[in-house]
Amino acid sequence: MAKQRNDILQGTLGLLVLKTLAGQGPLHGYAITSHIQRVSADMLRVEEGSLYPALHRMEQDGWVRAEWGTTEKNRQARFYVLTAEGKRQLAREEEGWARLTEGVRRVLRYA
Amino acid sequence: MSWLNRLLNLVRSDRLSRDIDREMSFHVGERTDDLVAAGMSRYEARREAKRRFGNYGMQKENTRAADVFTVIDSLLGDVRYAVRALRSTPAFALVAVLSLGLGIGANTAIFSLINAVMLKTLPVSHPEELVQVNMGDDQETFTNPLWEQVRDRQDVFSKVAAAGSTRFNLAAGGEARPVAGNFVSGDYFATLGVRAAAGRLIERADDVRGCAGVAVLGHAFWRTEYGGDASAVGRMINLDTRPFRIIGVADQSFFGVDVGRTVQVYAPLCSEAIIRGAGSALDRRSTWWLNLIGRPKADMAPEQVRAGLKRIAPASYESTVPPNWGVKNQKEYREGTFDAVPAGKGMSQLRRQYRTALFALMSVVGVVLLVACANVANLLLARATARQREIAIRLAIGAGRGRLVRQLLTESVLLSALGAGVGVLFARWGSQLLVRLLSTSRNTVSLDLSLDMTVLAFTVAVAMATGVLFGLAPAWRSSRVNPQAAMKAGGRGVAEGHSRFSIAKALVTAQIALSLVLVVSAGLLLGSFTKLANLDPGFRPAGVLVVTVDARNASTDEARRGELYQRMLERARALPGVTSASIADLTPISGSSWNDEIYVDGLTLKSGRDALVYFNRVSDRHFTTMGTALVAGRDFGAQDTPESPQVAIVNDAMAKKFFAGSAIGKHFRIKEGDALQPLVEIVGVVKDAKYKDLREETLPTAYYAATQIAKPGSFISFVLRGDGSALALTNGFKSVAAEADPRLSLRFVSLEEQLATSLTRERLLATLSGFFGALALLLATIGLYGIMSYNVARRRSEIGVRIALGAARPRVVRMVLGEVGRMVVIGLAIGGVAAAASTRLMKTLLYGLSPSDPTTLAASGAVLLVVALAAGLVPALRASRLDPMDALREE
Repeated sequence: MAKQRNDILQGTLGLLVLKTLAGQGPLHGYAITSHIQRVSADMLRVEEGSLYPALHRMEQDGWVRAEWGTTEKNRQARFYVLTAEGKRQLAREEEGWARLTEGVRRVLRYA
Repeated sequence: MSWLNRLLNLVRSDRLSRDIDREMSFHVGERTDDLVAAGMSRYEARREAKRRFGNYGMQKENTRAADVFTVIDSLLGDVRYAVRALRSTPAFALVAVLSLGLGIGANTAIFSLINAVMLKTLPVSHPEELVQVNMGDDQETFTNPLWEQVRDRQDVFSKVAAAGSTRFNLAAGGEARPVAGNFVSGDYFATLGVRAAAGRLIERADDVRGCAGVAVLGHAFWRTEYGGDASAVGRMINLDTRPFRIIGVADQSFFGVDVGRTVQVYAPLCSEAIIRGAGSALDRRSTWWLNLIGRPKADMAPEQVRAGLKRIAPASYESTVPPNWGVKNQKEYREGTFDAVPAGKGMSQLRRQYRTALFALMSVVGVVLLVACANVANLLLARATARQREIAIRLAIGAGRGRLVRQLLTESVLLSALGAGVGVLFARWGSQLLVRLLSTSRNTVSLDLSLDMTVLAFTVAVAMATGVLFGLAPAWRSSRVNPQAAMKAGGRGVAEGHSRFSIAKALVTAQIALSLVLVVSAGLLLGSFTKLANLDPGFRPAGVLVVTVDARNASTDEARRGELYQRMLERARALPGVTSASIADLTPISGSSWNDEIYVDGLTLKSGRDALVYFNRVSDRHFTTMGTALVAGRDFGAQDTPESPQVAIVNDAMAKKFFAGSAIGKHFRIKEGDALQPLVEIVGVVKDAKYKDLREETLPTAYYAATQIAKPGSFISFVLRGDGSALALTNGFKSVAAEADPRLSLRFVSLEEQLATSLTRERLLATLSGFFGALALLLATIGLYGIMSYNVARRRSEIGVRIALGAARPRVVRMVLGEVGRMVVIGLAIGGVAAAASTRLMKTLLYGLSPSDPTTLAASGAVLLVVALAAGLVPALRASRLDPMDALREE
């Protein structure tokens, strides 16, 4: 598999997607991208396409469920919903993230 | 259930691809719309949307990878690609699949035979537990008294049983209808754990002395004879004209314990007395006819079983000493022992007889497959060269070499898989044919050849191995293509790299070497068979009919049997078409023999074996009928009666061995135990003749006069020589017999067939090795022709230049043939060494030929050379007829 350029984001992309879905309900891929970009005030930019391998992996892992549906503009899109397992995973990842940032913060403060 | 999903996604691969496309292009579309809304031009917006999305193809691949098992997916891709590639060159695919099919099919056919004869366990419960009781060495058959000792004394088996093969005659009189039968002890079915398909099986209570006749039918017999009707149970069946009540049918898969022989009717041991009456072997202490099979108690280790059997041996032998044996033999008998060997695969005459032959055939077909592989490898190499540009392009746009090799290998494995498919069909048909070749009129061979896991695993393994074997070299070579060079060359140019060509040449050389080995083996086996088939047996079999008469159930009583036979002989001699007829107890090469130790006054013989002479009892004119010359003395005649002194006619070998060549008027006696029987006077000497086997060294043989015995036996043979076909005499004799006594049972066989039957194995080997040798030769020829044609085509321009510069056409022919010659000579040299090494292994299969027979070797080499040059001549002539202008204009 090809190496991703945004390695750090690769690790957190799942967290961002799960969090987005937890807050916003069923969304299609484009909406997820737009949401993350809007909320992060464009600070987090991913190669948009890399969202899809991640989404499909999460689907296979059972964290999200996907269904074809219709958008407001009457187009066919694939909508993703968080599953119960996905919610637990989100909790785990949030905790992991908190620890990581706390750790990094401490190092930055006291080193 | 992620894995299940991914697996399902493999199956719906195309839909998955479309869905991912739809999802991703929706994204790009939305982004474009938003950018347009933000004021960009449509065209700009689209470009920007695509830029932000990133590498579309790669993202799609990655997404797919999340949804399926990548390895299998790309494998399927390879297979699809391979199928496409093969479909684009159907002629190549056909030739490759057919030659592989023949190779793999031949291997599967022979292997399924080996599997059926040697590897399969008996279809009974826990066959691996079963052991056969023997006498320590090769001696496997027991007398009934000895079996009863083992049965009653042993304490190592939970169950033990005995079985004796026989043939039951279903006909009441006239021509016999023999079926394979078994006399079995009461615990036979219980020991093996066989269930009844209908009714019940023989039990211990059925097997008691003086029993009434009951019979269990084999499943196949029940189906063919009674249409599988359950009401057959309870009906009567006549076995050798004695009525037996059918009590049940054995399980469908059960055929007995003798692999290759399907038992049709089982009867309890005790009923042997019903059929054979006074001739019963139940109390005979020197009639060896029973095989013993037992199932050890659960806690018994093999050593304990053997020790337990050895413990009971002395007492068992002691209580069954044959009273009429000599002191020395009795002493040896008392020292007998027992042993046990695993019997999970049953016992098999066929296995003993064909073991070496089957392994020889397996090697032969293995070599054929190698030759076929070399051919396919060459085809693939040529194709790879043609595909060099395609491969170069793929390499140039970034295909990994490993991936490329895998893809090409997939193609060859696909070829061999298709070959295996064809091969299995071919094998189904071929192995049936083989079994028919093994069967003789006297002995129908039946084997379970259904494709089981072992055979399938073998075929799959062979197919995979061959696929890799012939695919590896071309695949490896292809992947080493230098894209730049290949693109530049583009198939043009006067000179070309020699690398592919030298691999191809090496392959053809190897094919020639392997073919030589096969042709030499085939030559040796064919030579042996021809020698055996054409040797002078000491009699003239053509036109001779042998009728075996069974008079056990005749209406004529025993005392008048001699008269009956004599009357029939007179009538037979008067039959139209009969030139000569006689009576004999035994006929040559029939499988039966009769021997005794003799004593000659004044002659000390080293051992009992040295004093062994083979006997027969014949009527007058027997030697005329057989076509064996009387060289001294007289034939039997009316003067030889039960009251007159015993006389005999001996063969040359006996006259030489015991009487220094002048036997007339000399005497000998038969030694029975330690006693001597009355003097026998020799009145005639005949030429040597084969007695029980065409391969044998001539045995010392003595013939008694049929007329000197007061009570002839119930089995006798009539020998009729006709002036035409032997079998044409059949009907005439039938009416003679019907008139004399309609209850006589008759079996007819021509003497020629009787001889041919004894050569079944040799004929099979000669036929098959000849066929496979020819097949290998054909494949090698195709290979050689292909490579030379290709070579001439490749060197078109070079040859064109040569001709244009004045090379004479014969010179061009010589040049091409010279190349063929070099390959053939090297191939023959290697093959000669290989043949010398491998033919030694088949020494036991040969007759009258040394494994390194120079004539065979030279002739095989010559055949190969001629065939190879012929195959090379066509492209050579094509090269010489090349129009230089045409050839050069193409450049």
